Amino acid sequence: MYYRREYTKAQGSVHLKQNLCILINMKCIIPGRHTKVFGKAVHSLSRIGNALWFDPLEKGLALRVVNSSMSAYACIVFSPHFFHSYHRSALHEQGAAYAEINFKCKYSVKSVLPVFRSLSTLEKNVDKCTIYTNVNEGYMNFQLFYRNGITKTHQLAYEECEPLQAVFAKNTCPNVLRIQPRVLSDVVVHFPSCQEEITLSVTPLRVSFKTYCEEELEFSKSVHTEMHLGPEEFHYFQVGEDAEVTFCLKELRGFLGFAETTSSYISVHLSKAGKPVAFSMENMFFEADIILATLAESEMGKSSQKSPGIIAGSKLCTPNPGTGVSNAISLSENIDSQQIISTKHGNAEDAQQDTVEETPNHSPYNKFCTLFFGAVSSQTQENADRMFCSLATASEDEDEDLCHRRLSQTF
Amino acid sequence: MPFLTQPEVDDEQYVLTCSLDNARNLSNILKAIHFKDHASCFATNNGLKVTVENAKCLQANAFIQAGIFQEFNIREESVVFRINLTVLLDCLTIFGASAGPGTPTALKMCYQGYGHPLVLFLEEGGVVTVCKIHTQEPEETLDFDFCSTNVLNKIILQSEGLREAFAELDMTSDFLQIIMSPDKPYFRLSTFGNAGSAHLDYPKDSDLIEAFHCTQTQTNRYKISLLKPSTKALALSCKVSIRTDNRGFLSLQYMIRNEDGQICFVEYYCCPDEEVSEADV
Repeated sequence: MYYRREYTKAQGSVHLKQNLCILINMKCIIPGRHTKVFGKAVHSLSRIGNALWFDPLEKGLALRVVNSSMSAYACIVFSPHFFHSYHRSALHEQGAAYAEINFKCKYSVKSVLPVFRSLSTLEKNVDKCTIYTNVNEGYMNFQLFYRNGITKTHQLAYEECEPLQAVFAKNTCPNVLRIQPRVLSDVVVHFPSCQEEITLSVTPLRVSFKTYCEEELEFSKSVHTEMHLGPEEFHYFQVGEDAEVTFCLKELRGFLGFAETTSSYISVHLSKAGKPVAFSMENMFFEADIILATLAESEMGKSSQKSPGIIAGSKLCTPNPGTGVSNAISLSENIDSQQIISTKHGNAEDAQQDTVEETPNHSPYNKFCTLFFGAVSSQTQENADRMFCSLATASEDEDEDLCHRRLSQTF
Repeated sequence: MPFLTQPEVDDEQYVLTCSLDNARNLSNILKAIHFKDHASCFATNNGLKVTVENAKCLQANAFIQAGIFQEFNIREESVVFRINLTVLLDCLTIFGASAGPGTPTALKMCYQGYGHPLVLFLEEGGVVTVCKIHTQEPEETLDFDFCSTNVLNKIILQSEGLREAFAELDMTSDFLQIIMSPDKPYFRLSTFGNAGSAHLDYPKDSDLIEAFHCTQTQTNRYKISLLKPSTKALALSCKVSIRTDNRGFLSLQYMIRNEDGQICFVEYYCCPDEEVSEADV
């Protein structure tokens, strides 16, 4: 039962939205001074997940990544200001009913990383970087023009795969903190690299980051780190209700790697255990978000840690498609896909309210499902359903689990 | 400069004796060709040549001319032996390989002749280590018959221009394709790996290119696994000369400046992938 052990570490699963098939040709030119930032973004995202989506949107080029257990989602949208020029031209596919068509472009991070391998030389030596696609060829071209005249062209084959987007209305979170990324990095660096999860707790008086350990047994063995920050450390400090959330550290570290390179503030949005926590930053060049699933309350409470229920609890907490699907189903009953899209297209409030209203109804699921993913564009729930299965790698055993849970949890 | 004051040996009995104030001047250059365990050594009046070969397709030669040594005595016209290069390098760096601020390791190297070991006396700060390395039956080395009159294309460029390219070679590609041409794209390195292809274009008027003499467009492919070890030489060198002859054979000559500012050369020869070169010709 090796895989089970692995899965018990993960904190939640995800509900995903899906795209239509679309063809978009994209060409953008990144000026030399921004090439390093772009490269750094690719490096950081590579620390979060293995698959990287290039998603050219009207508002800019989005790079998205979801980790393998689907407990973390990160997205960096580079606005057209970031680029020297940014063009996208949509080709409507015949028979496509929707005007908005997305370009499905997924890479293995391993193939994109070599393009931006040496960050120091990027900054010093690169004059500009051009990224363009030719859908007909099925390649994306990355061209680096060096000051010394060398041109490096990488022609990378991509995989057609639907981009994902986490559905999380951070505006509804009662707790919002804004802080210099440097400070967060300084906090995180004190945790040993083997530390998988940390707990962030907020009260109106202080914010603390501490080691999270799953079982009390481990507690005595491991190093326990705890760090407190007073409200004065924050640029903005709003704590509506005390909260304690536990999330994975590795992905956050990856994100901070990118955040550190800029001087923009990081906003942290959190509500309560089991609800996702979001770290985001925004400036005129890009918007960057990472949304992390958090451990559900039942697992964090000490009483439940002692009870035999923990075993079932941690099992349920596995990031397999089961939890996602069951939530997708429950979600579909409450929010129709139209509203999910409206979140994206700016009609956000309605959808957000909906999400909030529905939340209490989902409470039984909170234990094991903490992060929802949604389609980037509208899609029938049926399709979304299928997607969970395709995106998560579940063993046969888990498929059984999935069916079982689906049955037991649908009422 | 510390130097071996008392080698307990009588120089008369050796066919080859040489000494160096700084053993790194030898060890660094041998590292540039250290991709196989065994090397052949040839010594003549001009100096020492160390050769390493791989797969009968690649040959690397390091030349350490007599002038590099503080003392270089040879009693025969030529001295040939084969030696375990890994062991030789381990011995040469027995006091540590890094270029520390301390005193350099002095070296005296002696060879008595066929059937005898190569004897190294290494001294640092008054401590002397004596190493005796078994020599082996010399083997015939490949003759690439690479003659400068047959050279069609030649480019000399600063090593830094190639360093990144070689360090980042996509090793999932079987071969490195080199295009040299009097016309565009002038000089192009390409790999075709699992993730896609990568091309590196050098304009002929780039500051990195010191000489550009291409007479004929040539496209040749070389096994990337064979060329990759040359990265070691590239890393040490300041300039590199890339030449191809009428058969598509590749010669890479690296100019390496040692710690005392003297110039040494390392040379790699590589055969092209046959199919492509045939199709090309």
